[in-house]
Amino acid sequence: MTEPEITPELMRISWGPQHPMSGQTRILLDTDGEKVHRIIADLGFTHRGIEKVLENRSLIGGIVPIDRMAMVDTANISIGYVTAAEKALGLEVPERANWIRSLVCEMSRINSHLYAFGLQAEATGYFPAVFLWTTIDREILLDLFEELTGARWSFNFFLPGGVYKDFPEGFADRVVEGVHYLRNRFKDYWNAMIENPMFEMRCDNVAILEPKDALRLGATGPVLRGSGIPVDMRNEEPYAAYADLDWEIITEDACDVMARTKVRFHEIGQSLNMMEQIAKEIPEGEIKTRFSPFARAPEGEHISRVENGRGEMSTHLWTNGTPNPYRVKILPPSLRNMYVFERLAELSHITVADIPVVINSIDPWYLDADR
Amino acid sequence: MSRKISLPDFISSFNEAQKEIVESVDVFEDTRASIKAKKDKIIEAAEVIRDEYGFVIPIGGGAIDYPEENRMEMNYYLNNPDSDFIIIYRIPVNREKPVLPSMTQVWEAMSFHERETHEMFGIDFEGHPNLVPLLLPPDWKGGYPLRKDFKGEGVE
Repeated sequence: MTEPEITPELMRISWGPQHPMSGQTRILLDTDGEKVHRIIADLGFTHRGIEKVLENRSLIGGIVPIDRMAMVDTANISIGYVTAAEKALGLEVPERANWIRSLVCEMSRINSHLYAFGLQAEATGYFPAVFLWTTIDREILLDLFEELTGARWSFNFFLPGGVYKDFPEGFADRVVEGVHYLRNRFKDYWNAMIENPMFEMRCDNVAILEPKDALRLGATGPVLRGSGIPVDMRNEEPYAAYADLDWEIITEDACDVMARTKVRFHEIGQSLNMMEQIAKEIPEGEIKTRFSPFARAPEGEHISRVENGRGEMSTHLWTNGTPNPYRVKILPPSLRNMYVFERLAELSHITVADIPVVINSIDPWYLDADR
Repeated sequence: MSRKISLPDFISSFNEAQKEIVESVDVFEDTRASIKAKKDKIIEAAEVIRDEYGFVIPIGGGAIDYPEENRMEMNYYLNNPDSDFIIIYRIPVNREKPVLPSMTQVWEAMSFHERETHEMFGIDFEGHPNLVPLLLPPDWKGGYPLRKDFKGEGVE
């Protein structure tokens, strides 16, 4: 990126892309003493041209590269593409497959929020222990993923028209066991983080994002809901089995870093409830609609909108009667939230020491912003 | 912005009220309204969509290339927290001279998406505050990667 001009009385700090709290991006901070006047995000360090790659793959072959967009949240990423592809191919999804999809998506969401949580603990600097806790507790989910899909990360489990495999024997019981274990652990997280005065000091009233600004700047996911606006794709355009599950949109009104952290926290609790409900009430039946892997989608365009751990991901798929898609436009949540992060310094008082906390409250995943 | 707006209501009221600025309104997949504005009313129509119909959430933007028809198309995706559908605001682009007015004057957050489209398709957005590459390296000279005639080889 060509660096923009800087006014002489400010100092520019280049933060990242190797800084542990920056992720794979570079952030330029124009500072006056401790106060940050301007944030400039320099994205693109992990750009792999996934949209172009997808144009050169068959519809079903695109499932593999799309999983690489966000490793902690692969299920929620791939369901967006798969839903668009099955709209294009005109495939119906059996009910049981929809429930399995919701289960994997919710497990993936917990996985993603746990990672965000661990990083938030790391960013506040007081208790790296919480990062280790979340890493260890994610093993429960990874083991379940492995048992169901055969892989711990990036499992390419969803296919247009269904899912790859049914539950193994006794899997539903192990999901319930895992849910009970994680529920108990979350009491510890709540006490160690949300209730901790040190954590409150770092997060309360930091980086306030008013609802009108959140809307105007295109915030999405927990950032938008942390500003009190109830927008969630699972409710707006129910996909998978969300219309049949008991859940509600979680919002917080404080609009600060703490509010965004609390939204993630409560969403984990809600995802655990959904996991338990699915394990207990999943209907019997088929798990996939068969179709030819070389199926050609008729000419048309299709948009799917799904809720990732980080917010709304829209996939716009154009097909033209060949086995490959004509064009795939992916609108990832992290790109939208990174724009909010850029503007935050103008909207509220942020110091250099706040930057790790603020950036983790936005929880960007640069691989999905860069694609 | 209090009640849920449904798509048929929107289409009928929008078509009726905005005859001067709108060229066509299409619906696909039941929950997507695709709007094309008249050529000289692009910004005006965008402001109407934002202010009068409450489509304040910018989801994003992106282009698509049709080399056989010698045209490109810029799409802006817009959401209203109280609607059960989204708007795709389409603007045709001349492939020989790809210049458009920047939508950042209406939806500020289109900034990143226009920067990306600028480097990937070569579309210039007039009035964009900072139209520099977003994802590609600053010294990139390989052409426009998402155009259909891009061969995937660098150019010296």
